[in-house]
Amino acid sequence: MGFVHQFWQLTVDGLEIGALYAVIALGYTLVYGVLQLINFAHSEVFMLGAFGGLFAARGLLPAGDTPGGLASVGLVLAGLGVGALAGGAAAFALERTAYRPLRRRGAPRLAYLISAIGASYFAFNLAGKEFGRQNVPLPPLFHNGVVFHIFSAQVTTQNLVTVGVAVLMLILLDRLVSATRLGQGIRAVAQDADTASLMGVNVERIIVLTFIIGGLLAGAGGFLYTITFNASYNMGFVPGLKAFTAAVLGGIGNVRGAVVGGLVLGLVESYGGYVISASYKDVIAFLVLVVILMFRPSGLLGERLGRAA
Amino acid sequence: MTTSGTTPSPEGTELTEPSVTPQRAPGPRRHRAVPAATGPGPGLLELLRSSPVHQLGACLAVSVVLAVMTGPDGDSDHPFHGIAKSVLAPRIFIFLAIGLAFWALVQVSSRLGAVKQVAGERLAPVGRVLETRPGRLGGNATLLAVAILAPQLVSSAAQQSLVNDIGIYALLALGLNVVVGYAGLLDLGYIAFFAIGAYVTGYFTTKTGMPWHSPVVFNPFFVLPIALLVAALAGVILGGPTLRLRGDYLAIVTLGFGEIVQLLANNAQGITNGPRGVFGVPNPSVNVGPVHYQWSLDPKPYYYLLLGFIVLVIFAFGRIERSRIGRAWAAIREDEIAAEASGVPTLRLKLLAFAIGASVSGFAGVLYASEQFFSPQSFSFQASILVLVVVIFGGMGSRIGVVVGAVVLQGLAFYLRDKVPPADRYIYFGAVVIAMMIFRPQGLVPSRRRRREIQLAEAGIHGADPLGAAPDHAA
Amino acid sequence: MARRHVTGMAVAVLAVAVTAAACGSSGGGSSSSSGGKKSVEIGFQGPLSGDNQQLGINAVDGVKTAIAEANKKGDLPFTLKLAQSDDQGDPNVGPTAARQLIDNSAVLAVVGPVFSGATKASEPLFSKANLLSVSPSATNPALTTLGFTTFFRDIAPDTVQGAAAADYVVKTLKAKKVFSLDDASEYGTGLSGAFEPEAKKDGATITHDSVNPTKDYTSEATKIIADKPDAVYYSGYYAEFALLTKALKTKGYKGILASGDGSNDDQFIKQAGVANANGVYLTCPCGDANSDPKAAAFVKSFEATNAGAKPGTYSGEAYDATNAIVTVLKQVGAGATRKSVATAFKSVDYVGLTKTLKFSPTGEVAGSNVFIYQVKNGERTVLGSTAVLVKG
Repeated sequence: MGFVHQFWQLTVDGLEIGALYAVIALGYTLVYGVLQLINFAHSEVFMLGAFGGLFAARGLLPAGDTPGGLASVGLVLAGLGVGALAGGAAAFALERTAYRPLRRRGAPRLAYLISAIGASYFAFNLAGKEFGRQNVPLPPLFHNGVVFHIFSAQVTTQNLVTVGVAVLMLILLDRLVSATRLGQGIRAVAQDADTASLMGVNVERIIVLTFIIGGLLAGAGGFLYTITFNASYNMGFVPGLKAFTAAVLGGIGNVRGAVVGGLVLGLVESYGGYVISASYKDVIAFLVLVVILMFRPSGLLGERLGRAA
Repeated sequence: MTTSGTTPSPEGTELTEPSVTPQRAPGPRRHRAVPAATGPGPGLLELLRSSPVHQLGACLAVSVVLAVMTGPDGDSDHPFHGIAKSVLAPRIFIFLAIGLAFWALVQVSSRLGAVKQVAGERLAPVGRVLETRPGRLGGNATLLAVAILAPQLVSSAAQQSLVNDIGIYALLALGLNVVVGYAGLLDLGYIAFFAIGAYVTGYFTTKTGMPWHSPVVFNPFFVLPIALLVAALAGVILGGPTLRLRGDYLAIVTLGFGEIVQLLANNAQGITNGPRGVFGVPNPSVNVGPVHYQWSLDPKPYYYLLLGFIVLVIFAFGRIERSRIGRAWAAIREDEIAAEASGVPTLRLKLLAFAIGASVSGFAGVLYASEQFFSPQSFSFQASILVLVVVIFGGMGSRIGVVVGAVVLQGLAFYLRDKVPPADRYIYFGAVVIAMMIFRPQGLVPSRRRRREIQLAEAGIHGADPLGAAPDHAA
Repeated sequence: MARRHVTGMAVAVLAVAVTAAACGSSGGGSSSSSGGKKSVEIGFQGPLSGDNQQLGINAVDGVKTAIAEANKKGDLPFTLKLAQSDDQGDPNVGPTAARQLIDNSAVLAVVGPVFSGATKASEPLFSKANLLSVSPSATNPALTTLGFTTFFRDIAPDTVQGAAAADYVVKTLKAKKVFSLDDASEYGTGLSGAFEPEAKKDGATITHDSVNPTKDYTSEATKIIADKPDAVYYSGYYAEFALLTKALKTKGYKGILASGDGSNDDQFIKQAGVANANGVYLTCPCGDANSDPKAAAFVKSFEATNAGAKPGTYSGEAYDATNAIVTVLKQVGAGATRKSVATAFKSVDYVGLTKTLKFSPTGEVAGSNVFIYQVKNGERTVLGSTAVLVKG
């Protein structure tokens, strides 16, 4: 019984939350890649995206029973779209107020960290003021049922939607970074901003776009999160920290590393939470982080956006 | 090199120490030169640089944000009501008017730049006097006198806050200042050592507070050295393997460590009593010869106890700062490789800084615990961040500065308790922190050395320190 | 440096000016006279912000209602005012919040603190200041054993509720295997600590687990379902119980779900979703004013005072506590001091809405009933009191 019996179910659970971590982790990794800065306010971008998507989906939801079929698909897409836009806008505003003025004067690195922390406090408390400080649920947008079983594990519609959308976004981002001009620019700035700027890359534009891309992903990720959990003004902190852990775990600055890190973290948490106790889930996550950093400080797949992606 | 010519920079005129003024052109490590080529939309700082129109836009944007900040609340069913009622109500005009007035002020003041410079030179002698030895002594004595008188003038809730929020955080900030300000190491889990100090106290001083306790109980004063040692030891154990890592990774490992300690405190109910916290640590007392004194619930004696320790720590760290060790730390901070090459045992010294910082934190933990009650909620990541913010806000590397930082920031939080809806006060906190970083990143009362390092960094001459290296791609 | 300096200061000045302008009206309140009568304040301490603020708001609205009624009646030798102090439900904020009330010399009695942890941290200060504090909701059993001299509560401790809940779940609902989960808080462990032994005594097998409040109950739900219990009893607050309910239902849990008074709020239904919340049992030592015909006048007065809000969990208790305080104030008269109020309260005997307020020397209320609620069609409905529902 016990763990062996539940192994596949825990794997399914772990992959779901891991996919979410991966989506958020990309924002950290991209910004770290181009700026070598830990963007502490990224968790609030995630939170604002979640609220944006939730309000949009809730607003469009017709009264009465849970919708089905095309209506469900439309609602999920609307939520994702608005969530992503809200996240992108938040990330843009963040870059403008908490990062750019500092960059213009070449402030020391700690100053960025502190201003990002300030922005984070500002944003989530303002969200609390405007959206209330209660947990806010997303009404069901589709019928959630068991679609199929893998061994003994139930795979629900909700699992499939979350993981499917996350994987799709991750593939798109990977293509974007490795195969487009913009991606080339991002990699160039990540490798060497000054040389890139000499080569005619508009570094400032790349930085803004990197923030926005990270924000779009985090915003959509925020909406996905509300499908399973509830939104609240302080929801960003823990997933943000976990996603950050995931980014480091995979090798910060490395796009594929963030994905691997997210999934590994999700699985480890899910197994650990079952075997030991759900209370120790976070302890396990951070222990993994500390151990990895001590023995393989560049993360599972190595650092550097430029080289690995 | 880069296009530094495109941003006409006022920095040159701002530096007070002439030695570092002119050489700001070759800044290959930064892209601050590039922004001139980007799109519209001013950040706050560009208020001073871009055209008045953009400044006006920024001013009005800020005043709208302020209107929303101070406006009515919304809730999850009506998420945009709060914003709508703030922006569409007549009061918006007051805010816009203030924004407009502010804009006008900036316009006028930039014309008056020359006048101010003269005024600045007039005031300069005062600054110079304060930097002489007698001047400094006088300044410090005044500060001490203010600190001694302060609790007599305020309410007992404020006294409680002076102890819990300001005193404890000032002590913590002094400790973290050694790690961040002196040695240039970023520690994001500093509060963990504070927790260790508190739990050590719980273990040794009460049989009822925690399920796991020592067979004999002590007066909290006797626990001070034990907590100091245990916290320092924890610092060495954590720092030993991780201080070899690069600056960022140290930050992350310490963050992870801080989280682990808090989560363990929360979850190991059989040992720590979990989230219910530890209740019943006895108040400290002194029974030496004829002196008998028992601290009690009254915050004032605690305040003076804390003040005593703070002054002691300030003196002790002053000695260290000016010693060989202090100079070695400065060398590590400014250029670790060069320090290593000139024979500074960098790893050992970093470890020492880490241990000293940790022990002060443990020490503060004992004092905090001996006020009767603590729970793991006090040891959250937010608390670590708050200490860090206090250090940076007050002025990294400056002992007086970090204490002032604690007083101002925590004082602001307390002041806002009654002035704004309690839940909203962190909005203001966040806004003040951002504004501070934009306008005065060196902190309220910067240390002279630190100020110079930041000026150098801003001028693109040197990366200040392992942390201070502004976004740097050359590495 | 000069320019930036000035701008920075100007921004700060601007911010402060705006803040002051916007909040200038809300000022401190020491005792002042209005209309010839001296004014006396009743303090309130509880969570007015944070995740579980609804419980604090329910209570403070009850206090407001009682104060408004007393002032309207006008037979007191002074006008009553309310002094609120937010402790965020956090034991670490408790002492500062308590001091704020103690400092205000016009405050002669306090309703609160609302949460058990904050109560534990604040009561030593109230005791020392001789300031009466009547909690409408701090149900942790140990609170009355710690030697606080001015602490009273007009709600039964968790020992009563936990045992009654266990009897109901095991005897009436016939659950053979029960999963008892608490949130490791002062309140949660107290409740599960009373629930489990009674359920065992009633013949059920118990699996105990303790999880700190988190946002992700997925793996805990897997664990619970793997254990195949007939019933799950959660000892904790509604924000987490809603998430747990959601996670369990998503995973197809079909058994009995129940929780205590910390989850007995409409916010639970909202946050869990109506479909998930339907059928869930909630236990509470509190009656439901909305469905109690005797309380119709109270509900009306409550709605009038609080802009149409309906009474929630602890509203009735807070209302009763305030009324009992008002009775004592009347008795003590114009020369009331903190000490005389606290002393007189010991012998109060007031027939309130929820129960008769009469206290044992340690501050425990004399009699109490535990009620069972069930969510039906998205509404909490009272099934009755355990005294009636549990047979044998």
